[in-house]
Amino acid sequence: MEIDLRFFATFREAVGQKEHTREFGGDVTVGEVLATLESEYEGLEGQLLSDGAIRGQLSVLKNGRDVTHMEGPETELEDGDVVSVFPPVAGGCDGR
Amino acid sequence: MTDLRLDATQLDRYSRHVIMDEVGPEGQKRLLEGSVLVVGAGGLGSPAIQYLAAAGVGRIGIVDDDVVERSNLQRQIVHGDGDVGRPKVDSAADYVAALNPDVDVETNELRLTADNVGNLVADYDVVLDASDNFATRYLLNDHCVLTETPLSHGAIYRFEGQVTTFTNERTGEDDPPCYRCIFPEAPEPGTVPDCATTGVLGVLPGTVGCIQATEVVKYLLGKGDPLEGRLLMYDAMDMSFEEVPVRPNPDCPVCGDDPEIESVSDVAYEGTCEISAD
Repeated sequence: MEIDLRFFATFREAVGQKEHTREFGGDVTVGEVLATLESEYEGLEGQLLSDGAIRGQLSVLKNGRDVTHMEGPETELEDGDVVSVFPPVAGGCDGR
Repeated sequence: MTDLRLDATQLDRYSRHVIMDEVGPEGQKRLLEGSVLVVGAGGLGSPAIQYLAAAGVGRIGIVDDDVVERSNLQRQIVHGDGDVGRPKVDSAADYVAALNPDVDVETNELRLTADNVGNLVADYDVVLDASDNFATRYLLNDHCVLTETPLSHGAIYRFEGQVTTFTNERTGEDDPPCYRCIFPEAPEPGTVPDCATTGVLGVLPGTVGCIQATEVVKYLLGKGDPLEGRLLMYDAMDMSFEEVPVRPNPDCPVCGDDPEIESVSDVAYEGTCEISAD
């Protein structure tokens, strides 16, 4: 099935594009999508998941809703769902 | 409200406010009696300070420990070429003094810390976070949650902005979210490049800072619907605004059902802003 992936700020730079559609074979969860992204993009390695949980330094949306209020990384996805991944941003020249 | 009358000069200065039913003389008095602490006199703080001062917000506190650099001037429009090398708080205060004599500016040339945040925030109606680092952002969030102080949040990255409002009005029922409900922890130090490395579109913080100033003015007026429970994501390249719904997180470390953070002294703000191990 196809999942639309959207990236913001530092994740956008790590992936090199704002959005793209990716094909996944069979059922897939948010956590599995994030693990796939970590393995495919060097800049995302270790940035999305920690021991299978979504790291505290990012927000992941399924169709515009924070998956924290669903099943977290176990949230199941359906064909055509949109997954958005965005980090906090600081705002200046001391951005750490 | 004290008996504050608008004099003839003020009626003229604020006539475009006063003529509107949503503001009127009473609303303008609210603004003149209002107070805002602006943390950061940089890209976000510049337009915020300018519009809050122009609107007649009576007392503006400014916190910043930096001096003006020439590379700031591409976006930090409260400062001018002749201000290079001066403390930003002084430069911003001079701008406000020249713009509107109704406004009292209180300058604080220092960095916000867990030790001084209480005294700095205590006397203000609302806080506008225009800071440039995660330590200050998490510190302000935690303090404002714990003291139920309204907080305007704005942040930028290259061509993108994030802006929202946390009223922090908590009654125990349908309570609003806070910044940690969205991002429980700050990024690891060194993982987010700064704007000296990545660059930033100069006009970007202007847009975001103006939205923050709008939210603060509305809050002081007690009018309109705040940008609460909604994170507004702005993409200057697409010229698109997108709202992400934000809900309170029951597991939030500061405003959740069983919060770990009961005091800002519990948190190591120079790291990932997690609760301190000791």
